[in-house]
Amino acid sequence: MAGGSTPGPVALKPPIPLLLLALVTGLIFLGPFAYVVWRNIDLGTDFSEVIWTRETWEPLRRSLWLGSTVAVSSAIIGTGLAWLTIRTDIPGRRVWRILAPLPLVIPSFVGASALIAAFATGGLVEEILSPIGITDLPDMKGFRGAWLVLTLFTFPYVYLPVAARFASLSPSLEESARLLGRSPWTVFRTVVVPQSASSIWAGSMLVFLYTISDWGAVERMGYSTLTRDIYSDSLFNPARAMGMSLVLGVVALTVVVAERSLGRRRLEVSVVRSRDPLVVPLGRWKWPAVLGASAVLGNALVGPAAVFGFWSWRGLSASNPTPGLQTDLGDLVTPALNTAETGLITAALAIAVVLPVAWLTARYRSRVGDAANSMIVAGFALPGVVIALSLVFWVLQSPILGSWYQTLPLLILAYVLHFGSQATRAAHVAVGAVPRRLGDAAATLGAGRIRRFFTIELPLMAPGLLAGAGLVMLSTMKELPATRLLSPPGFETLSTEIWSAGERLALAQESLGALVLIALSGMLTWAVVLRRIDNY
Amino acid sequence: MLGMLNINSVVDILPAMTKLLRTLSAVLALTLVASACGDDSDAGDDASSITVYSGRDQELIEPLLDAFTEATGIDVEAKYDKSANLALLIQTEGDNSPADVFISQSPGALGLLAGEDRLATLDSAITGLVDSGFAASDNTWVGITGRLRVLVYNSELVDPADLPISVLDLVDPKYDGQVAVAPGNGSFQDFVTAMRNELGEDATREWLEGMAANNSPNQPKNSAIVEAVGRGEHAMGLVNHYYNLRALEADPSVVSVNHFFPTNDVGSLVIVTGGAVLESSDAQDAGAQLLEFLLSESAQSDFVTGTQEYPLLPGVAAPEGLPSLEGYTADTINYELLGDGLRGTIELIQESGIEQ
Repeated sequence: MAGGSTPGPVALKPPIPLLLLALVTGLIFLGPFAYVVWRNIDLGTDFSEVIWTRETWEPLRRSLWLGSTVAVSSAIIGTGLAWLTIRTDIPGRRVWRILAPLPLVIPSFVGASALIAAFATGGLVEEILSPIGITDLPDMKGFRGAWLVLTLFTFPYVYLPVAARFASLSPSLEESARLLGRSPWTVFRTVVVPQSASSIWAGSMLVFLYTISDWGAVERMGYSTLTRDIYSDSLFNPARAMGMSLVLGVVALTVVVAERSLGRRRLEVSVVRSRDPLVVPLGRWKWPAVLGASAVLGNALVGPAAVFGFWSWRGLSASNPTPGLQTDLGDLVTPALNTAETGLITAALAIAVVLPVAWLTARYRSRVGDAANSMIVAGFALPGVVIALSLVFWVLQSPILGSWYQTLPLLILAYVLHFGSQATRAAHVAVGAVPRRLGDAAATLGAGRIRRFFTIELPLMAPGLLAGAGLVMLSTMKELPATRLLSPPGFETLSTEIWSAGERLALAQESLGALVLIALSGMLTWAVVLRRIDNY
Repeated sequence: MLGMLNINSVVDILPAMTKLLRTLSAVLALTLVASACGDDSDAGDDASSITVYSGRDQELIEPLLDAFTEATGIDVEAKYDKSANLALLIQTEGDNSPADVFISQSPGALGLLAGEDRLATLDSAITGLVDSGFAASDNTWVGITGRLRVLVYNSELVDPADLPISVLDLVDPKYDGQVAVAPGNGSFQDFVTAMRNELGEDATREWLEGMAANNSPNQPKNSAIVEAVGRGEHAMGLVNHYYNLRALEADPSVVSVNHFFPTNDVGSLVIVTGGAVLESSDAQDAGAQLLEFLLSESAQSDFVTGTQEYPLLPGVAAPEGLPSLEGYTADTINYELLGDGLRGTIELIQESGIEQ
């Protein structure tokens, strides 16, 4: 198998255009971070007062604790589920594969509300279980609730890249190990996990960064992380909010850089396409596996969807005459189209923007590439409201850019800045999937750079890139804080509709919006991403 | 090794990829063109069109804005978000803000912007439409509707005889663990500011610490408290009056009930929602016209039916089944303090330990 592995970056000089492209990309992604730094200077933040106090350390500790625990549980669930659905004969594979990425699209504030409504005292589950004597359900508030919600709704960050990896990974090593009599668990541990380690790391990193930037779940569950404090302080105590944003950004950068230097030592296995993937017979583990997969997706998708379905049905069947409390599917058509449009454009743009940087970091040793990469990834950890305000600030600095203020392109730029990291990790892995010698061989045969890219490299990278595009699309479709601040007046998405319905206590309309969001993202994920990943 | 690469699959996926890319770039190009065109039509500083930032819900405000356009011929573009977020946006936009009018859920955000000289001075004919306590004394903003602070309780868990007379009674150990609060929420903060104003710093701190010692459960916002009280998760909670009326409209079987504090109690504060015209606006007259319109009899009645809030225009009937606003001590409360004093309030709340 030695011939199939591609060595890591080599000491070749990267082409100048590529370097320039990466430099410009890095500078654009630096925007939000630069804004935070500038605001701290402008406000004259007294760091001895903001940073070196318990009021900052405690939330920071909670952010890191929540981020790490959610990353670990998501890594386990995401990897396990990817292996089960791609590599084994688990019954209903096709259905599992479509459902598994979807929990990502449930906005954390909606998911948390559904979980509370289901499990809290006097909630739906208690109503169902109390006739059989079960009334004392575990308390879902605080850390436990936030951890559960975030794990259930972010594990697809791991699942999607790892599943794409499994789908395109040669089964020959696994097959040999099995033929040599290794038990399935040993094979999983010693062959499967190391081969997909870079994807698992990439996904877990996204989960970590998302978790420390999330506001919806921690707010709803009452767990005070740094991001929750940034939101609550941003208006009346901006110096503290901006100081804490800087802390959050620096922590994210540190984690990203640390992970990257560790990642250099990881085994890279080149991906070789195979028409007939390995299917591991689960045998007597078949039904426990189904039970496990059901437990995860039951809580992350089917359960919330059922809660939303129940409320929507109640609203639709007994129409409420009170203004603002009506339930109307027709009101969701335009927001749904807007959501699909922004999701698709952002996904395509994000891939196009980060691919040069990914290419540079995967193929060459380049400081510029590393720096640009770190900026892109860290942008994910800043809260959406900070990203949005930074764009407001920079764009209004110049009259030319100012004419783009509150237009769709600027909103999409905000999404790309916020979620580009989800594509860059996937793109990095995808570039690693292209055997270097293939391009060399084609070049020897006289194929030009552009032709080589479109006929050889892009198709080989497609599964990895699409997995990244899928993540960006799903995240964009549910994004709320930046959407509300930057969208053109009158521009509605499903996410803003769901939020607005929730604010006026129109539970049925809120639930219907969530159902439409899940259905729409399911269709798009299938049509744009999953269908095009080989062997998926 | 090349043999392991299945060339067929490469060829298979290529047309699909190219098609996808082509479609996406077409969509992108169209969007850019469309939005660029949109810009041109908006250009110009004529007052035939204004932009409103509304912290109040779209379902409620949009019909009123449409009626305004019909009556005056002035087009309105609206942006909806939380009041605090919009205030933050106006701050960040500075003099380049496209907003002409800001409608806020809470006086806190208005007071903050007024303190930073972002709000224009309104004609006293407009601020004079409401009682003097319901507008800024420097005429930078005017109240539009009022909301009453109440104690919502679960009628299956609480005997009405056990209800407190004053909000200050809630620190009694007999209410231990029973009264939910939303310390991070704007209306709770406005209420605490009013308490500082009425009773002073020390009494307020004492009350907050008493509530903390009583293990008052936390919720993120009013609606979450009302839902939790309805389910029986908490026995009582401090909220604005209309959330429970709303919950009852959505589901009449809910067992949560509003308890009103006596008119002279600090617990029964009236919190106003209000509106202002921005100092940076180049359509200040049209903006003022909109505020005037929102204080017209028909718009005020629409607020009453749409939200069950109190109208601030004298002569418009209050929502059915609610105590009359007369007699409440609302008009003695200094709303400027509610804005400027908010930072101090937040610090006081954070120090008291009421936040869990």
